[in-house]
Amino acid sequence: MIKRFGLQPLSFSLESSKEMVLLSIIAQSFFQPFSLDDNLLVILTALTSGSGVGFNRALLFLKEGERLQARMWLGPRSPEEAQAIWSMLSTPGLGYAEIVEHNRELVERMMETLKPKLKLLSYNLDAPEVKIPALAAKNQEIILVEEARKEPLVDDNFRDFVEVDSFLCLPLVAKNEIMGEIVVDNGITHAPITNKDIELASLCALLAGNYVYTTHLYKKVLEMEKMAALGEMAAFISHQLRNPIVTIGGFTSQLLHRPCDQEKCQRNLAIILQETKHLEDIIFKISHFLKITIKELRPIDVRPILQSIIERPDLKLKAENKRLILRQAEELPKILCDPVYFEEAIVNLLDNALDVTPEGGYVYIRAFPQNRKWLRLTIKDSGLGLDEKMREKIFTPFFSTKENGTGLGLLFVKRVMEMCAGKIEVQSKPGHGTLFKLYFKVSEEKVKP
Amino acid sequence: MKKILLVEDEKALSLLYEEELEREGYEVVVAYDAESALEQIRKEKFDLIITDIRMPGRDGIELIASIMGLRKDIPIIINTAYQSYKDDFMTWAADAYLIKSSSLDELKNKIKELLEKSSS
Repeated sequence: MIKRFGLQPLSFSLESSKEMVLLSIIAQSFFQPFSLDDNLLVILTALTSGSGVGFNRALLFLKEGERLQARMWLGPRSPEEAQAIWSMLSTPGLGYAEIVEHNRELVERMMETLKPKLKLLSYNLDAPEVKIPALAAKNQEIILVEEARKEPLVDDNFRDFVEVDSFLCLPLVAKNEIMGEIVVDNGITHAPITNKDIELASLCALLAGNYVYTTHLYKKVLEMEKMAALGEMAAFISHQLRNPIVTIGGFTSQLLHRPCDQEKCQRNLAIILQETKHLEDIIFKISHFLKITIKELRPIDVRPILQSIIERPDLKLKAENKRLILRQAEELPKILCDPVYFEEAIVNLLDNALDVTPEGGYVYIRAFPQNRKWLRLTIKDSGLGLDEKMREKIFTPFFSTKENGTGLGLLFVKRVMEMCAGKIEVQSKPGHGTLFKLYFKVSEEKVKP
Repeated sequence: MKKILLVEDEKALSLLYEEELEREGYEVVVAYDAESALEQIRKEKFDLIITDIRMPGRDGIELIASIMGLRKDIPIIINTAYQSYKDDFMTWAADAYLIKSSSLDELKNKIKELLEKSSS
């Protein structure tokens, strides 16, 4: 006998210890998509929810440049509000997702009035004298403040803001770098902060520090990827434009500087015109390529689309003296894609396949269900095939084996497949033609008989 | 008359180079890909080779490697639209690396310079 459990527990059993619940809440947040605010909210939630550490309120600072800036405050503002929230949160079986969702609303509501006040809580960490709460971040140590009224190290502004006598400052540190700070207190219940609370809270702070760090890294990586892609694109575009420009420039300069007979003048002008058209074509394709964005994946029925594709006059013209053969299952599940991009991608592949197939050769396009989740569409040509080196290069931008190819066609297909959460594979050997396998995700929606 | 092998897959561009270099008094043989370029080199003797890098089939870098295997004494000029191949150490085997330009002066000067060097 086997039993199955979900990866994320939906609710906590009442016997689970506080520590266990806290770790569970945080662990679950690792499943969430990267959003700094949401992930930090998870930590603040863990610190404040009754089932977690159980502080009343938590205030978050983030390091911005050399300053420590208050960003988010979670917690009720009055005993009445506290009562309402806590009774809601102590509902048995309430899961992490609900708690976070609830807290997100609470924070959003609170932030409107809080924002100007939080803005004022900003500390220069490089100042000669750094006061509490910023001191904890600067020294990278946890500070428990009791009798804040009498403590000269506590910043007056901050004391007026929290209106509480006892609070705990938790620095957020990762790789020895200050990321921020969280200040927690029991401003509503005035319960004392125990050593056990501090231990648990410090664990939360460690995780929060890493959250901030990871998010920064992630943002940096995204930025770098974007820049790299842009740089590559710019290099390729400039190369692509250079050949026609050099040709146009060279022949124009011949016309300008050297006497030429009627025939040669005509020829030069014809070449210039042809290269200008080539430039237009490149610009059109590049802008078209850059524009691909599929906003919404729709269930599409591929059968009629494939049928109409092979009847397209442009392909029919290309397929003259060749055989273009479509085979598809009687019943095909719908797939998730965009119909226009789907058609363009398939046409692109067929166009290539027909280009490399010699007269009398065959091009097959087949569509069959692979299993319940995937539909497999294959396109096979009877061209010369690709060696290993070429196979590696075919998806590189501007790689083309055609004289007037832009080298964007297959890249376009790949982009479309990525956006449809599909896969593309290529099989090819010199002398054996090339086989493209496209896997599309099957939509849940059934095709009506 | 000095004989130059020009390896360039763009038809219009190779026509331009061919005409311009013939005007300079060279004999020009055009090959549209690496394969036919190698065939020519095996058949005839050239005083200089000009090659593009990005071409259908085997690229200019592979071509240079093959030429080095056949005969090392022919000066080679890489004439390409790509700046980035400069970092590929195989391109160092060439005697010059030029970026394609609509003014052919730099190419013409380089050819003259290399031919003078090799004949002296």
